[in-house]
Amino acid sequence: MTTQATPAAPADGAAAYAVPMLRIVLGVIILATWWGNVRDELYTADGLTGLIDWLFTEAPDGNGSTLGFYQSILDAVVVPIAGVVATVQLVVEFLFGLGLLLGAFTRLSSLLALGFFVSLFLGYFGGEEWIWTYVLLGAAAVTVFLGWGGRRLGVDQALAARRGPSPAGILW
Amino acid sequence: MLTRPSTILTALLGPTERGPRSVLAPLWPVAVARILIGILWLFALRWKLPPSFDGGSERGLREWLDLMVANPTIEPYGRLVDSVVIPNFEVFAWVLFLTELTVGLSLLLGFRARIGALIGLALALNLGVGLAAVPGEWPWSYAMLAMWHGVFFVTDAGRVWGLDARRPPPDDTRFDSADPNARSGQEAIT
Repeated sequence: MTTQATPAAPADGAAAYAVPMLRIVLGVIILATWWGNVRDELYTADGLTGLIDWLFTEAPDGNGSTLGFYQSILDAVVVPIAGVVATVQLVVEFLFGLGLLLGAFTRLSSLLALGFFVSLFLGYFGGEEWIWTYVLLGAAAVTVFLGWGGRRLGVDQALAARRGPSPAGILW
Repeated sequence: MLTRPSTILTALLGPTERGPRSVLAPLWPVAVARILIGILWLFALRWKLPPSFDGGSERGLREWLDLMVANPTIEPYGRLVDSVVIPNFEVFAWVLFLTELTVGLSLLLGFRARIGALIGLALALNLGVGLAAVPGEWPWSYAMLAMWHGVFFVTDAGRVWGLDARRPPPDDTRFDSADPNARSGQEAIT
């Protein structure tokens, strides 16, 4: 059931499905990449430290990323506990990918996804990787968050109907 | 007049939830994405600049075409590039340059953005088909690029923060100028 304040707004038009579709595509991309990373054993201490080394090694042996301050942060904070971070990333990345795909806890999921994409943007910046990828992904996460992407074609629609407005507007 | 930070924040994020079944979503994030992707297309011109269409110190258009032929996602597509596009490189290079320039300007300025979005969608799909199998390329980039152009098309994205806002509203009243939500760049999501 839907209510609508303004008859002219596109509640039933194709435009109303734009943000939910963006959310679903984002969820598919995150989960497909997650599964590829699982198979490549990236969510392990060795996998994660290897990735960080590769990022900041000059091309052609590495990506040639240039943000030294971010490398320092990763070296100081992530590398010493790489096994823990990798495990947390394995679980959290899967959860927010699934959340986006299903439209469940979409606002929280899209915020977590945004943090993930910002981290990747900083990590890959200045290197061989096409950095616009992370701009496209980050913009999608922002749009899904601000556009209440789970309120159509999503579990959040049922959550909102059953439980009312989300606490602090942050969950659904 | 917006004075308090909380008022400004509310204006940016929209009036948010109006109840469990009804929310208003601001359209400005789509406008920001449109502008960013317009810049993306213009930025991408730098490795296909006429008259040589090479990328200087980076990979140029001709090298990318060679990679498409060497790593075809779809065999007939690789053959088409090899037998039709590369022998007529200069013609196709000019067409591609002008097309990407048009799409970039259309999206950046929000001018005839639905047309720009449709052409951009075709370009993104072409890039996806052509480059998905090239080593080091991440095919999902092109999926997301295509998806965004679809979003710009269906939301008529040039009507928020774009020159299309100066045009009369379309007959379908999707963004009826009498609609206060449309004027404030929001749409009812549910």
